[in-house]
Amino acid sequence: MTTAEATAREADRIIAARSRTKLMHSAIYLVVLAFVLWSVKTTIVDDTDWARLGSLADVLESISEFVGIDWGLVPNLWEPAIETIMVATLGTLLGVIVCVPAIWFGALNITPYAPITYPLARLMMTLSRSIHEIVWALFFVAAVGLGALAGVLAIAVRSVGFIAKMSAEAIEDLDPKPVEAIRAVGGSDFQVFIYAILPQVLPAMISVIIFEWEINIRRSSVLGLVGAGGLGLVFFRQLNTFNHPGVSTVILAILVLILFGEFVSYYVRKAII
Amino acid sequence: MASSATTHRHSQTRRESPREWRRFKFPESLYRWAGVLLGLVFLSYSIIYLNIPLERFFTMFGRVGALITDRYYPPEIDYVTQPEYLASVWETIQMAYLGGMFGMAMAIPLGWFGSYNMTPHRRFVYPLARFVTMSTRSVHETIWAILFVTILGFGMMAGVLALTMFCIGFAGKLFAEEIEAIDMGPVEAIRATGASELSVMVYAVFPQVRVAFTGIGIYTWDVAFRAATVVGFFGAGGMGWYLKRNVLQIETLRVSAILVSIVVLVLIAEGISAWARARVAKAK
Repeated sequence: MTTAEATAREADRIIAARSRTKLMHSAIYLVVLAFVLWSVKTTIVDDTDWARLGSLADVLESISEFVGIDWGLVPNLWEPAIETIMVATLGTLLGVIVCVPAIWFGALNITPYAPITYPLARLMMTLSRSIHEIVWALFFVAAVGLGALAGVLAIAVRSVGFIAKMSAEAIEDLDPKPVEAIRAVGGSDFQVFIYAILPQVLPAMISVIIFEWEINIRRSSVLGLVGAGGLGLVFFRQLNTFNHPGVSTVILAILVLILFGEFVSYYVRKAII
Repeated sequence: MASSATTHRHSQTRRESPREWRRFKFPESLYRWAGVLLGLVFLSYSIIYLNIPLERFFTMFGRVGALITDRYYPPEIDYVTQPEYLASVWETIQMAYLGGMFGMAMAIPLGWFGSYNMTPHRRFVYPLARFVTMSTRSVHETIWAILFVTILGFGMMAGVLALTMFCIGFAGKLFAEEIEAIDMGPVEAIRATGASELSVMVYAVFPQVRVAFTGIGIYTWDVAFRAATVVGFFGAGGMGWYLKRNVLQIETLRVSAILVSIVVLVLIAEGISAWARARVAKAK
């Protein structure tokens, strides 16, 4: 009888605890929901100029202005498209070169002096990743003037963070046995690097670089907005002359360019790795 | 013993020339070198084509350093601590998480439709969902911002929608990849009971990807916040507008203060997201 009573009491306790957590969860959900609704109110309801927006029909009408392709623009798109790809490629390459010290300092097992060089490399990586490419491009346009060079530099600096972070992690994860083996047969530091470290991390690094190249095509297609050449400049001109079908044409061209990039990266990846 | 080994090796080399080891045999090695050569030609041609002044390039670092010390230092920190600017920072955070949330709400069905193993229809729905995620991802967030500002006017709604589009593409792809990697056993079990596709999704797929989706969601918010700092540059609300105004007015000290504030905020956001993702991974 006592055991039955104890079981019943235990069951009551569990049920009470469960309903308490349930209450707690619903309270949390309610607070989150209220917060979200409040944010929607301040950002969307209060901050929008509803009079300027007009009715739904007006919005649909302004969207319909963008429908269509300006075929007359297509021949003028080849050159900026090629420029965009070139800026992305050169930027990625320069980024890889700049990456080398960041990787060397940023991998804990090979960094020369961990208390100083490791945080330095981490700072480099975070700085590069946290500032948007548009901001980097603005900075470099101010520093080296309008043109493709500013775009290349912005892309390079922006890609350092990702490539260096992934490569440093690959180096930190590497298998120490080949390093020991090369050391044991009397290999120098350089030989250890060439024959034991590089073969282990190269495939991962190359696939990271190709991935970054793909992203960089997307990035370099907008750098023209702040004066760094490529498709972004054409986009900007079409928008400022209110040639809205031309705007859609440029966006389609960017899509085609990115599909091309994915296609190339698929085959290069297959050929190299 | 070492000496005997060396003499043995010497005698061997004298007898027959050492065999040459190569990873790639003749025709393939030729293709590879041709590929490398083609890449180099493309690179050097693009330097010429883009008119990149190499001689200026090497003296550039000194000039960039001089530019920073002359014009961008010291940052005008007072400017970024004034209440109007802090309000815009708060708006940026709101935009980022609203965009991330709306984007995620649309990315989950897209991830379902766009995963090859779970899609309702492989010939029609799968390519459509793939196309939607690919195109929203390919168009840069600034282009989305410009388009929405042109259609809807200035304000944060354009920014939220631009970030939504960005998050659809970003999270949709990751969600689909996550669903493609699930264990199909539970799916078959639930299907065998005669459940509908939606019930299969809810009871067999969702419990498997719940933790990964949460992690991806937090990461998406982190990336969306970085994008949110600049959509204002094109009139879509948030701190980007302050950046644009000061860039146009050549108030370089204020620009550098804003940049510093962006870096600090992104660092904080990254810290929070790393902590939250670690917590979620532990809950697995």
